[in-house]
Amino acid sequence: MAHPLPLSETSGDAALILAWQSGDEQAAAELVGRHARPLARFLAGAGAPEADVDDLVQETFIRAFRSLGRFRGQCQFRTWLLTIGGNVLKDFGRRAARRKVLPLDEAVRDVTGDPHEHAEAREAEELLAAGLQKLPRLQREVFLLRAQQGLEYDEIAAALATTPGAARVHYHHAMRKLKEIVE
Amino acid sequence: MSDEARLENLAKRLGARAAERLDVAATAQKVVERLREQPVRRIVWVQQTWLRIAAALVVVVGGALAVRQNVVRSHAAHPAHLVADDLSDLSTDELRDVLATFDQLIRTDSGAVPESSTDLHELDAQQLRAVLRSLEG
Repeated sequence: MAHPLPLSETSGDAALILAWQSGDEQAAAELVGRHARPLARFLAGAGAPEADVDDLVQETFIRAFRSLGRFRGQCQFRTWLLTIGGNVLKDFGRRAARRKVLPLDEAVRDVTGDPHEHAEAREAEELLAAGLQKLPRLQREVFLLRAQQGLEYDEIAAALATTPGAARVHYHHAMRKLKEIVE
Repeated sequence: MSDEARLENLAKRLGARAAERLDVAATAQKVVERLREQPVRRIVWVQQTWLRIAAALVVVVGGALAVRQNVVRSHAAHPAHLVADDLSDLSTDELRDVLATFDQLIRTDSGAVPESSTDLHELDAQQLRAVLRSLEG
């Protein structure tokens, strides 16, 4: 399980948010620099085509900065940002309803290392990525926030306006279904 | 490695390539530029939207109040309807029928027979109307 952001980084986010709200553009750029890559991973993991990840990341930050007045610090800035990314991706999916959203191309694969291991890993990743698309949105996001981003249930629950118990149940349902698919 | 741990490891690798390819500095630059260009438009849009909502509310509430007042007024101002008001449209025979009905009603109510009942056939339309109006009070 990956570790969530250390306290110094989250308090740094708070200072940057305040600076941005006071008109400091550089603070906004720094927030993008801190969180753009994890956001891109989340979006790609949730099914965003690689060619659109850049635009979706931008759109997510734009929405987040415009909605900062509604961010009450109920969770980390990054967690809140990822949930906005989920909404942006959902809207993108609606617009491209007939387009296949999941790319399953080189974008989601690790192409380094032993070719045989690489082939196996690629197959498993493809299965996982396809399996994630079969999950309900909430289960998919809880799974990614927990397994990919390494967040605790409390944090996930605060971001998704649910309870830690419910987040745990969603995670276990997702895990059970994904195990069936990947195996 | 358990199945769950294996899936979690796989999940961590999902999207890694897309994240690596992202030009973070360029993204930050574009975001800042878009924020610089668009906030004013957004504020204007929000203001216009609220103005439209407020105008729609005024129309709906004002319309409802006006309709309500009209309904109340029409109920309050509606005059009592008198049968005598419709008498001018009736022919002599029809008037006699109406009077005969009145007679019938009075007989059953009081048992008394008005003197006029026997002379109805001798009255013209104008006289019959006068009798009916006097009966209605």
